[in-house]
Amino acid sequence: MIPARRVALFSNWFAIYMRYRMRKAFNRLEVMPFTPKEGHSVLLLCNHFSWWDGLWGNYLAYWHLNRKLYIMMQEDHLQKRMLLNLFGGFSINRSSREMIKSLQYAAGLLNDKENLVVVFPQGELISNHTTEIKVEKGIERLIKNIKGPCQIVYNCALIDYFESLKPSVYFHLFDCGIAGELSFEELTDKINTFHQQALKAQVNVAH
Amino acid sequence: MIYPQKNKLINWFFHGYILRLVDKSFQQVKYNPLSVKSDKSVLLLANHFSWWDGFLMYYLNHNLFKKRFHVMVIEETVQKVSFFKYMGAFSVQKNSRDVVASLNYAAELLNDPQNLVLIFPQGKLFSNFTGEVVFEKGLVKIIQQAAGKFQTVLAATFIENLQYKKPTASVYLAAADISGSESIAELQQVYQQHYHNAQKQQTQIAV
Repeated sequence: MIPARRVALFSNWFAIYMRYRMRKAFNRLEVMPFTPKEGHSVLLLCNHFSWWDGLWGNYLAYWHLNRKLYIMMQEDHLQKRMLLNLFGGFSINRSSREMIKSLQYAAGLLNDKENLVVVFPQGELISNHTTEIKVEKGIERLIKNIKGPCQIVYNCALIDYFESLKPSVYFHLFDCGIAGELSFEELTDKINTFHQQALKAQVNVAH
Repeated sequence: MIYPQKNKLINWFFHGYILRLVDKSFQQVKYNPLSVKSDKSVLLLANHFSWWDGFLMYYLNHNLFKKRFHVMVIEETVQKVSFFKYMGAFSVQKNSRDVVASLNYAAELLNDPQNLVLIFPQGKLFSNFTGEVVFEKGLVKIIQQAAGKFQTVLAATFIENLQYKKPTASVYLAAADISGSESIAELQQVYQQHYHNAQKQQTQIAV
């Protein structure tokens, strides 16, 4: 397992640079109003459907949720982009026993109220149009290991184009509750309900 | 009402421009090869969620249908984007007397087996996540007037990023049996069914 070697200064630069890149690549980046709970770390569960997802996690953490970003990445993906290790990327290898270590490491990070950990509960790339979010079992173990106060947030990002050639991305954020206060089944249900809500809200989104 | 105009130079330039733009901006444009009869014109019905729709259909026509491209566009857009009319766009102004002229013109175009007429029956932009496609009434007039002269092709398009930085467009095509006596509700149902199937296929994409 590769732990994060987050360097605050580089992470700041990276966030500023990526914001510039995103503003160029996208027509609009619309974040639905959401404020994280004071004094809580944030476990940000995101839907995984594109190349951009992790970078969006960074964008949200830095510019909207005001936390330090850490992000769980597949080991082979991280090894190819070790620079991201300096911006908070740590690895998980789903086919080895070290997986548990990664989950415990993520939980440890969440004990600090200044941190935010991005996890993709689907564990693989799935169409943006999917109506169901499958939450991998590992999330249960991750949450069980968190000791400090931690808010679980579901982020549903949806891409739409409307009157532009450039895509616009809409982030629908939902509060799933505090770690330890809800069971894994409840969490899965909540995420799926929120996902349906987001899909419905997207149809009527202003453009 | 604005009619399509002919200008070989402008057409040549923007023909290359559109095809290059689509090639450059998308990782891939996926479509199922659907053969059309050469002795009948094509009425192409597509969902409308972005500025790409028209360009993608133009691209598709060039690669697959190989007919003379025509498209019904809102009047303000044709005025604003002045090259559209050289690429086969004719205008329609909703809620005006001119509508009849536009619908008649579309039906007239369908009399020539070499033509393709693209119509977005939704009449305005909707989200790509919309589950239900609502048709405007005018389409009925066209199919009544041109009954028997055309074949109908349904297109449902979805755009998705997945592992690439550039998006992939998936166009699901199907031929439909439209005699000309259908009501708008029936037409909508035929399209809705195709759209629903396409969306289902799209949601199953996983990497």
